[in-house]
Amino acid sequence: MRVMTKKRLWYVIPIILGMSLLAFLPIKGEKASDELEIGAKIPFADLKVEEVSGQMLTLKEVAREKGLLVNFSCNTCPWVARWEDRYNPIAKLAKENKIGMIALNPNSGYRNRGESMKDMQERARKSNYQFYYALDKDSRLAQAFGATHTPHIFLFDGDLKLVYRGAIDDNASSAKNVEQPYLKNAIKALGAGVEINPKTTKSLGCTIKWPA
Amino acid sequence: MQNFYSLLRFLLFLVLLPVGSEFLHARPAVPDTLLKDASPADLKDVINSYRDKKAVLVNVWATWCVPCVEEFPEIVKLQRAYPDQLQVIFISADFTESRDRALNFLKEHKVDWTTYFKTGKDQPFIEAISKKWSGALPFSQVISKDGSVVGSWEQKADYETFEHYIKKQ
Repeated sequence: MRVMTKKRLWYVIPIILGMSLLAFLPIKGEKASDELEIGAKIPFADLKVEEVSGQMLTLKEVAREKGLLVNFSCNTCPWVARWEDRYNPIAKLAKENKIGMIALNPNSGYRNRGESMKDMQERARKSNYQFYYALDKDSRLAQAFGATHTPHIFLFDGDLKLVYRGAIDDNASSAKNVEQPYLKNAIKALGAGVEINPKTTKSLGCTIKWPA
Repeated sequence: MQNFYSLLRFLLFLVLLPVGSEFLHARPAVPDTLLKDASPADLKDVINSYRDKKAVLVNVWATWCVPCVEEFPEIVKLQRAYPDQLQVIFISADFTESRDRALNFLKEHKVDWTTYFKTGKDQPFIEAISKKWSGALPFSQVISKDGSVVGSWEQKADYETFEHYIKKQ
């Protein structure tokens, strides 16, 4: 009888342990927000992404002497549409400061709902994008960066370490009424080699549509 | 003449009957403040006002946000299922010019309690709601009666997920 009980314990204990561990798993609908920390090295710098021109690029190739600006963006988000009039001026400013720029589309879950490569090509043409716009396949880069929404900005220095993260500025609705041009200030500071302040900011945006 | 007055009374009775019936059996009337402008400080006060009374589900949504619109009916259903234990606080983050659209959406979904409309800049608003929130919509946060946060997330959720957190507090 005692032998039987001991034998049974060998089955019961792992089951109880397994069930206890299940309690720590995130439940459906929940995703941890773990944005890349300031000072962290860029992840997947050598991962090839397809750009709207058909060219295959890596983040390392897009980066320039002073750094790299990564903007998680998309085609279907009204917040992107509001901020989009600042995209080309920012690309120009980045270029003047020897910083490369790329927009990545992470919306893998909506590739058949306005976020396909064809839709991206159309958007880049219509909005006359003066920077790279590439598809983040399976949202791998967004996952690695801890990006959560569009637009979501990550600015890296010449060593590809994160120096600024967050918002473009403090007024999506009107470029004219911006009081704090966070990203432009960060680009200028990075170009001039002075400290960026603030290093992190927040703004509202559309949640990334992760792969199913 | 008497017959005429009797007929008039009867007709008046017929006219007023549905009105009276509506009055007696109506659901709680839609408040005047179905969608109330709120600053970050106002929102903090509203959330804190339920301390020791009810659990709170804060949900930040917008009419242009597809996942927000998809989960919205589930949250309304949840409020109806737990009227005494839970207070849902909807906060619309629509653009100012879409305020009427947000109000119509609330009416379409038969929301009959006060909800809020974000005013002011994003950063102070986001920080007033949760330090953990990056700004992605939709955002939900469940706060227990004692004021502690029992769950918060930035993606769309289903009824079971919301209910899980409500029961957890």
